Amino acid sequence: MTDLMDRKYALRPTVTSRLGGGFARYGFFLLIAAVFLAFAVLRPTFVAPGNIHGMLMSASIAAIMFMALTWIIATGEIDVSFMSVAALANMVVASLVQSGAGWLVASLGGLGVGLAFGLLNAGLVAIMNLPALVITIASGALAASLAAAIGLGTSIALVNTGFVGAFLDLRVGILPLVAVVVALLYAVAWFAQERLAFGHYLYAMEQNRAAVVEAGVPVTRILVLLYVLSGMVSAIAGILLAANLSSGQPYLGSSYFLDGLTAVLLGGMALKLGKPNVLGTLAAVIFLVGLLNGGSLLGWTDSQRQIVRGSLLLVGVGLVVLARSRISKRQLH
Amino acid sequence: MRTVLLARIAAFALVMAAIALVFWIQNPVYLSTGNVRALMRHMSVNGLAALGLTFVIVVRHFDLSFPGVASLSAMTLGWLIATGAPFGAAIAGGLVVGLAFGIVNGIVVARLGLPDIVTTIATGGLATGFSYFYSNGTSISQNFFMSGLLDLNDGRFLGLERPFAILALASLLAFVLLHRSRFGQAFYATGENPVAARFSGVPVRAMIIAAFVLCGVTACLSILLLVASSGAANVTAGNQLLMPAFAAVYLGAALFGRPSVPATLAGTLLMSMMLNGFTLLAIPYFYSDAIVSTVLILAISLFDPRLSSALRILLPAGRSAKA
Repeated sequence: MTDLMDRKYALRPTVTSRLGGGFARYGFFLLIAAVFLAFAVLRPTFVAPGNIHGMLMSASIAAIMFMALTWIIATGEIDVSFMSVAALANMVVASLVQSGAGWLVASLGGLGVGLAFGLLNAGLVAIMNLPALVITIASGALAASLAAAIGLGTSIALVNTGFVGAFLDLRVGILPLVAVVVALLYAVAWFAQERLAFGHYLYAMEQNRAAVVEAGVPVTRILVLLYVLSGMVSAIAGILLAANLSSGQPYLGSSYFLDGLTAVLLGGMALKLGKPNVLGTLAAVIFLVGLLNGGSLLGWTDSQRQIVRGSLLLVGVGLVVLARSRISKRQLH
Repeated sequence: MRTVLLARIAAFALVMAAIALVFWIQNPVYLSTGNVRALMRHMSVNGLAALGLTFVIVVRHFDLSFPGVASLSAMTLGWLIATGAPFGAAIAGGLVVGLAFGIVNGIVVARLGLPDIVTTIATGGLATGFSYFYSNGTSISQNFFMSGLLDLNDGRFLGLERPFAILALASLLAFVLLHRSRFGQAFYATGENPVAARFSGVPVRAMIIAAFVLCGVTACLSILLLVASSGAANVTAGNQLLMPAFAAVYLGAALFGRPSVPATLAGTLLMSMMLNGFTLLAIPYFYSDAIVSTVLILAISLFDPRLSSALRILLPAGRSAKA
């Protein structure tokens, strides 16, 4: 037990001065609060119950999709197929429901898609050690292409949203139930990441893959797990989106692509100073959804919102690199 | 070494002949003059984008911004033509976009040391955002007929389709730069080991910036041809460049052992032959990315060095060929 504790403290950036470190670590949350407050003052509809409900709904679905992506990026690998897998699962569910299958069968079909693409990525990247970026670009393009092919290039409208729709409509007080479920899910993920050996291995793999392999950590098994998990959570998000949008949208992936990476990298600044982590991702997802929603209330165009997304991603990457170079410099001296 | 190269060329010719035969049996039109010309035009667009990407892959980096940059370039070109700017200025405007984003990508990655994948995704996202500015996202095609842009696609040069002539010229320049000049060695050295290259006097950062600039400019050149052939500029024009370019570079590298200009051209040719053939068989457009990505995944995994070394142990003939 002490062994584990020691390792944990070694991983904690004890090097940052307490005040500056605290500000960097929690500053992101202050920023979120400030931005949301500004929107609430400028456009009171921003905090109307209906709008909050809508934002929580989209944030929950996005947070599910980006959960495994956070850990994949934390290990220094990449997955750029997640949004296309979600789009394919979404279209598979929609077409199955449209052809008369029940929502249960359709959802299982969607999950099957996620599992298949997760296993494909895992096999090629984790087991065969092929370059992650090119493989996931290709598998993502495959999924996107199949998603378009299912609907012959157009969307599929759904008449009923089945039990998934009913689940999305459930509320706890004013909160949608799915938001509560996502919060619990992220709490469990945070525990796994911070308190279990699994989490320590993730960050160690990013530092020095060869050393971790030498130390006997089942690196391949962890990567397989992460890619399969990424496929599954993307598929779940796709299934939820089918009910939420009551349609299958073959091209829904493109809007989640930048958001996913931005959420992970921007969130990496919160709490762990440059290391992608699940709570940071959750906060960044809420920030992004709020920013884009508030922006559209203020009348931002698509172009402006796209530019905000791109800039935030750049800022996120820049901050992560800056924070890391600071930490490594201080560790050297 | 020479026998290995000959074996690789023979393998490439065999694959090419097999593809041609399969499609020719399905539809004899495949090898008609008209279709071969269409194939050459198609290959020109994808080949140019892949050519620039080759340099980025050679220095062991990635560029995911070129589809977005190409879209911005297409809209800039379209807007300049629609507002009546001279044709030359419009083309220059389109290419300057690639130059500017190439420089930004290169500096951010090489000098500031940001991770290439995510950074270029971000700059590509920015470029996509900027491309909406000109017309709020609607496609532009005013004045296209009068400007002479369409001649770029339809005209001939020395008996070749004009797009193909442009690709041939660009390939020649790229070949000289990468394989017949000292800069070429510098690109490869930067990719192999940047520290060693630095101490050998290679300006590593300049080489990386140059690679990103080449990638941006050729992507804009390729979108120029695409806009000329479709007759309209729109904000999603660049998206169709991503998969074929990566597939061409990696397919070529898998066939010929490492990324190079001839390898990329070979990869592009195989890819275009397949896509053209499937179009001829009336396979809908949305399957094209599925085909390209399946071929790419197969090529990367089948030509994996560990797999081929395993084969070499099984087949003694292969081992002697290498020796």
